Amino acid sequence: MNAYLSVFRMRRKMELQYRGAVIGGVICQMFFGLILVSLYRALYAGKPQTTPIEAVVGYVWLQQAFFRMLLASDAELLDKIRTGGIAYDLCRPLNLYGYYYARIMAQKLMGSLLRAAPMLGFACLLPRGMALPPPVSLPAFLVFLVCLALGLLCVCALENITMAFTMRTLDSRGVQAMLNLLMMTFSGNILPLTLFPDSWQKVITALPYAQLLDAPIRIYTGQYALAEAPRVLLVQGIWTLALAGSGVLLWRHNQKRLTVQGG
Amino acid sequence: MAFIETHGLTKTFTVRKKREKGRLLREKTEIRALDALSFSVEKGELVGYIGPNGAGKSTTVKLLSGILTPDGGSALVDGRVPWQERRRHAAHIGVVFGQRSQLWWDVPILDSFSLLRDIYRVPEAAYKRRLDALTSALQLEPFLRTPLRLLSLGQRMRAELCGSLLHGPELLFLDEPTIGLDAVSKLALRDFLKRENAQNGTTVLLTTHDMEDIAALCSRVMVLGHGQKLFDGALNNLLARYDTSREVNVRYDGEIRLPDLPQGCAVAREGADYRISYAPAQVPTAHLLSLLQAAGPIRELTAQPQSIDRLIAAMYREMDL
Repeated sequence: MNAYLSVFRMRRKMELQYRGAVIGGVICQMFFGLILVSLYRALYAGKPQTTPIEAVVGYVWLQQAFFRMLLASDAELLDKIRTGGIAYDLCRPLNLYGYYYARIMAQKLMGSLLRAAPMLGFACLLPRGMALPPPVSLPAFLVFLVCLALGLLCVCALENITMAFTMRTLDSRGVQAMLNLLMMTFSGNILPLTLFPDSWQKVITALPYAQLLDAPIRIYTGQYALAEAPRVLLVQGIWTLALAGSGVLLWRHNQKRLTVQGG
Repeated sequence: MAFIETHGLTKTFTVRKKREKGRLLREKTEIRALDALSFSVEKGELVGYIGPNGAGKSTTVKLLSGILTPDGGSALVDGRVPWQERRRHAAHIGVVFGQRSQLWWDVPILDSFSLLRDIYRVPEAAYKRRLDALTSALQLEPFLRTPLRLLSLGQRMRAELCGSLLHGPELLFLDEPTIGLDAVSKLALRDFLKRENAQNGTTVLLTTHDMEDIAALCSRVMVLGHGQKLFDGALNNLLARYDTSREVNVRYDGEIRLPDLPQGCAVAREGADYRISYAPAQVPTAHLLSLLQAAGPIRELTAQPQSIDRLIAAMYREMDL
């Protein structure tokens, strides 16, 4: 089998081993989802906004369900980079960027699928008004899936850039704390991007963070009409290529100036 | 042309120190890890590579495996420049870093092996054959389905070695493979390496601090200090140069008075035990023994060769390492 596929399978297998973490994560995300939905309903009861409440509720549930896609980093890989265990990966007949990309993708994909399935099931069973509304149309749902897949490719490219930086600073915490703040804010996890002022949204939706979950969710809830889908997918595609391209360059540069410590 | 050939290989690292109080800039020091190192190794050789910590041994291994790029000099391994053709080169070599792990911590070692099979694109049939041979030689069968984290250090090192040999590399770099192993594991590992070298003609470059490893495995030894090659040749030749003194331990029945011994003898006393070290070239052993015998009734007498570790320590001292 192909090495990149093989490392993907290996990481997926590991992800399946940590069932306790999955259950804990699901419970935590459900709790957050319930609180946020109640909060927005209370807000709307006082002063309705232009964005319909159903769209906001759908936004919250989908954000919570795919939370792991945004915030999950491969601690083992970071550790390997920090301690020099990466020396082994460097003497393999591999493209390191692709190898780590596959590894990151397995974690993000499996991590979020394992959590999203029970979460979304739960969110559908809630009473009307609290529950996850169905997608606006079947075509919209299909575009949503494509859009979500592109978002996954984009977030993996983003994560691989963090890895490349970790290799320079040897400590990921500084960069990660900053990136996580940006990620949480501009991906719409803290506050749905649809609730930001319109003038802000013009800028925010063009940032890479909006391509990860915000774009697919807006397709799902109908905030983006189907006619807008080609533009949305194009922006996603451009960001994915740009991020992957800079990641490849960063790794290539890293490999040139590399020193593996100790041993 | 030799299998491995290096000429004037040089590598400098810059180490930044923490800023001292009252100073604006951090101090940088340059450490010359390798200083114009030249050597050659023939195919099928088993070469020991020794030197004190920080001598540049690991740096050499990292350069020759293509991880690091040198500042100067050249190296060819089987006609390849490691750091320029990293990926192609990597397919032909195996590396064991004794202080690191290439196997996955939370999954059975067999899964890690399958991943390595895919990385090196080993055909299924060849992989099966190789895995069978390696698992029986390294006695790994009982733990193939055990996660790495549950294995002992000795079992783990055997698994690491297996992982590095699955693709049948022509050249194997071993960086302190016996570190932390118990006697039985060490012996098993040495036996295995000897056989691997004899049967498959694998060229081995072995870095170690354990002189027993060298004595058991390597016909040739290279000594490195301050990034330079200080010795290259047979271990016996190296030892003969520093193996100049002998030691005898004598225990007498009852109190005795030891006579004055000739010049060149040093005596240390612990109760009824006397430890006498001397240079046979200066004081003939027969003469010394007759003097000792004349002093009183001897209950016990033992003579010992110098331990290799001590010789090496003496050598490092003399070479000012």
